[in-house]
Amino acid sequence: MGLHVAPKTAEQSPIIEFRNVEKSFGAIKVLDQLCFSVKPGEHLALIGPSGSGKTTILRMLMTLESVTAGDVVVNGVSLNHEYKNAKEFPASEAHLRKMRSDFGMVFQHFNLFPHKTAIQNVTLAPVLTGLLSKAEAKKRGLELLEKVGLADKADEYPSRLSGGQKQRVAIARALALQPKILLLDEITSALDPELVEEVLNVITNLRNETDMTMLLVTHEMGFAKDFADRVLFFERGKIVEEGPPGEIFHSPLHERTKSFLRKVIAAGQRV
Amino acid sequence: MENFEASVGYGWYILTGAWATVQLTVFSCAVALVIAMVTGVAMTRNSHLLRLVARFYVEFFRGTSVFVQLFAAYFVLPLIGITLSPIQAGVLALGLNGGAYGSEVVRAAINAVGRDQREATIALNLTGWQALWWVILPQAVVLMLPSFGNLAIEIMKGTAVASLITVSELTFQAQTVRSQTGDTAIPFLLIMVTYLAMASLMMSFVRWLEKRFGRGITSEST
Repeated sequence: MGLHVAPKTAEQSPIIEFRNVEKSFGAIKVLDQLCFSVKPGEHLALIGPSGSGKTTILRMLMTLESVTAGDVVVNGVSLNHEYKNAKEFPASEAHLRKMRSDFGMVFQHFNLFPHKTAIQNVTLAPVLTGLLSKAEAKKRGLELLEKVGLADKADEYPSRLSGGQKQRVAIARALALQPKILLLDEITSALDPELVEEVLNVITNLRNETDMTMLLVTHEMGFAKDFADRVLFFERGKIVEEGPPGEIFHSPLHERTKSFLRKVIAAGQRV
Repeated sequence: MENFEASVGYGWYILTGAWATVQLTVFSCAVALVIAMVTGVAMTRNSHLLRLVARFYVEFFRGTSVFVQLFAAYFVLPLIGITLSPIQAGVLALGLNGGAYGSEVVRAAINAVGRDQREATIALNLTGWQALWWVILPQAVVLMLPSFGNLAIEIMKGTAVASLITVSELTFQAQTVRSQTGDTAIPFLLIMVTYLAMASLMMSFVRWLEKRFGRGITSEST
């Protein structure tokens, strides 16, 4: 695993910066003058009501959405623009591919390739992108499946796996490209309740054993609290409140945060 | 009894036409498949030029009769110095025509593979062509197969038009027997059964392909 060991110090330059980012889908403004940054190795939880723009942030980083205005900067390089001879151009496909190589993403609905077995799902991209040889990818892929507890399912097609197993394969697949930043988009929302824990355990291990920067969008408040170094509470495309999980969950300052958490607790979640 | 022996005799004569029908069918299907894939994929790409050229091709060959295309291939192409044998002309016309119909099948199947699959290929940093070849097409092919089976049978039945440019295929042979013996029922019954047998064979092949390519896909989508 390509671990990017970097001491977490306050003066470190951010790995991700959102600079006045706006995103609209037609007349609907999803992100509104959004500014925040993420330090290398930081574990960030993005919470808030549905439609508050959390997922859009991850999708922008994965280049699945473009910005309407503003700039997303990764390691000091703009994700949306390129500069040639001091002139600004929209990012080319080549530029986007280069930028993407820092990221891995796990989707709410797994998005596994149904015609490929678990191990083939994991090895396809490292081989095609030239990162690893076939033999290396296979070896590495089996290690990753082992890590997510699915070594015995390597040759199964996704249709024969449970939701929790599928999501663990999807995590292994994202890790196979050795990303520096892992984006986790509501990865337990599509799972039956009894399968949530096996997926969260994998994430907890990753959090503790690697130096990857991780951004987690979730509705599991209990997990967000254990996982995050910092929590951002979003509403209507803006950050309402941010801080360490202890503050956000136990002594939120903002009335909107309080009412959101009250609703979540009323729905039966542990916070 | 004499009549029966005569029937058996010309029966064989008619069946000799089956070989030409098979040749026409196999080669036309091959041409149609390649053209359908190329133009169908072209219609799903971002390039306006690619899409325009493919669209023009499809509309032109779908919108003009295969009959006219066949005559053009056999009688008009020689005027610009390209002389084709009757079978070659038949394959060209049937292949180009079938390809135009198949193109829509390919385009629709590619578009039917979910957006989630495309997004996964982006997240895994595959190029557009890698995504198409390794992820989208293998899933789309399973969706294409039933329609391709229909199309192949259409092409097989369409080979009868090649009799008009003197290819001695099944229908041509049956017509010859009819004009010489005056017997209509037996020759046409015979070619009907032969066409049916060929169609059944083709469908079995398509079903085998569906099974072969459907592994992991046909039971559910992920």
